[in-house]
Amino acid sequence: MYLNPIVKKDIKVQSRSMRICWGIFAYELILALVFFLAMSIIQGNSRYSSGNIYSAMVWLYPVLAVTQLIILGLVVPVKTASSISGEKERQTFDIMMTTGMSPFSVIMGKVMTAIVQGMFFVAASMPVMALTFIIGGMSWAYLFWFLGIALLVSLFSASIGILCSSLCKRSISAVIMSYVFYLAFFLGTTVLPIVAGGVAANMRFMLGSVPKAFAMFGDNILLFLMLNPAVYLIEYFAWVMAGESLVSNMSLFSTQGVQVRGPVNLLTTGFWWLICSTVLFVGISFLFLWLASKRIDPIRGYSSSSRRQGRKGR
Amino acid sequence: MLQISNLYKSYGKFQAVNNLTLHIPKGDLFGFVGPNGAGKTTTIRMVCGLMLPNSGHIAINGIDALARQKEIKRQIGYVPDFFGVYDNLKVREYMDFYGSMYRMDSREIQRISDDLLDLVNLSDKKEAFVDTLSRGMKQRLCVARALIHNPALLVLDEPNSGLDPRARVEMKELLQNLRSMGKTIVISSHILSELSEMCNSIGIMNHGSLVEAGRIEDVLEGVLGSNQLVITLDEGRETALRIVSEYVGVELDSAGEHEIRLTHNMTKPQIARMVGEMIAGGVVVTGFHKQEGDLETLFMRVTGDGQ
Repeated sequence: MYLNPIVKKDIKVQSRSMRICWGIFAYELILALVFFLAMSIIQGNSRYSSGNIYSAMVWLYPVLAVTQLIILGLVVPVKTASSISGEKERQTFDIMMTTGMSPFSVIMGKVMTAIVQGMFFVAASMPVMALTFIIGGMSWAYLFWFLGIALLVSLFSASIGILCSSLCKRSISAVIMSYVFYLAFFLGTTVLPIVAGGVAANMRFMLGSVPKAFAMFGDNILLFLMLNPAVYLIEYFAWVMAGESLVSNMSLFSTQGVQVRGPVNLLTTGFWWLICSTVLFVGISFLFLWLASKRIDPIRGYSSSSRRQGRKGR
Repeated sequence: MLQISNLYKSYGKFQAVNNLTLHIPKGDLFGFVGPNGAGKTTTIRMVCGLMLPNSGHIAINGIDALARQKEIKRQIGYVPDFFGVYDNLKVREYMDFYGSMYRMDSREIQRISDDLLDLVNLSDKKEAFVDTLSRGMKQRLCVARALIHNPALLVLDEPNSGLDPRARVEMKELLQNLRSMGKTIVISSHILSELSEMCNSIGIMNHGSLVEAGRIEDVLEGVLGSNQLVITLDEGRETALRIVSEYVGVELDSAGEHEIRLTHNMTKPQIARMVGEMIAGGVVVTGFHKQEGDLETLFMRVTGDGQ
């Protein structure tokens, strides 16, 4: 089986460093602290209620899972943001680009390394996570769902990091740019529907109704939230813990008297929101990876027509 | 082997490479020389597919280097002027990493890397970490790495910069060995004496243009000519200079206190007569000999401003 040589080399090199041991130690420590904090809150609440403490422990699952996903979302971009720029700083990048590997393979190698490392962390957290399944009564299937989401968060974060790494010469600039990019992505997809809803409410207040040209978008503007990482996680945990959809309860235009038609009505029913959102995140991640590979290709300006002419000239 | 035609590259208004046309035959050890900023590294980077030219054509073994990058990467081994290493990677693993980048299987990599490490005298360092090697060893390892996929063309950009004299000699021997194995080697360097010892052909770049190229002997003769005479003397400098000026077809290159250098087109009897006249005129001639051209003189001549 062919294993990307960059993954093999990077994992080997980084496994020999103490940094990864300290990283896992810090990760476990944070999870343990969160676990004990959540336990003490659950215990404190159970004193004043007639509820069973064991059923309350189900809430350890989202607490620990969200903690882990936040850590992954913060750590993985750092790993990939320093990967390409790190090779440039180390002056190994040129050699890499003269080897038989294509720019996309190089990018994939770096991303896969970051994802594998992220999965090391997730695997190391399994003993703590398992407690929620053993004493919390959660279904084991949710553990695999969590692994899938951890993989998705790692892929998305890694793709943002690697794109920024391909754009910057220095690692530190790439790391900062990744976080800014992440924040802009999160805020952009949050603010747009809120602003649209606010404008609709103001129009209704001032004009008595929402203009048709504006209302035609209807609640479909909520579809932007599909690209919001926080909404994705909230939607997932709402579905797992309560079997509900948060987005289906959200409304911007329908409360303004506008009849809403369109995909949002279909997608907020049941499981489809998560499916579509997942597909979008995967698609955007691969778009970022493709852009990064184009960015590091030293002969990217050489047109495909010129390449075809070169082939014909054989 | 390597054919470059009408290559142009500019950085903004600065023309780094200007209409470069060059042919390097198979099996040559070609020295690329020129002052800083002459365009050597830019040319090398374009040949290795690390940079796109503004226009022009590069072919290696008849294959278009820009259009068929995948095939070309298998034909080229590149050694940059400075290369970094990965911490915590052993010499064996370093070779294995680059071998697998060419999709070679592990047994093949092991066999070839054993041979190459033997060739570069690093067999006993297989289990050593790369970052613990000396600079000379790292440079030789980089050459071994560049050969892992058995490329037809090896391109080295200033491989001797920062090396101590012993490491330079080892590098020179290594390159000569590789040439005897039939590899075509392009090497850029500032150390002209070393290039003249190991290369069989050279190209001199200046201000982005190739000013001279060809077999070293041909280039030396073409630029410096083969008729340079050095006359050393103790006394009678003025008389000697007067006699020299009386001869047609003699051009004075330099006139020191005890040494006169001149370029001429005289026959041997004419030279003997001129020297005889000097002696008869009271000039104390302590010696005279034909000046062999050297790369330093050639370099200064062709890259000197206004010459």
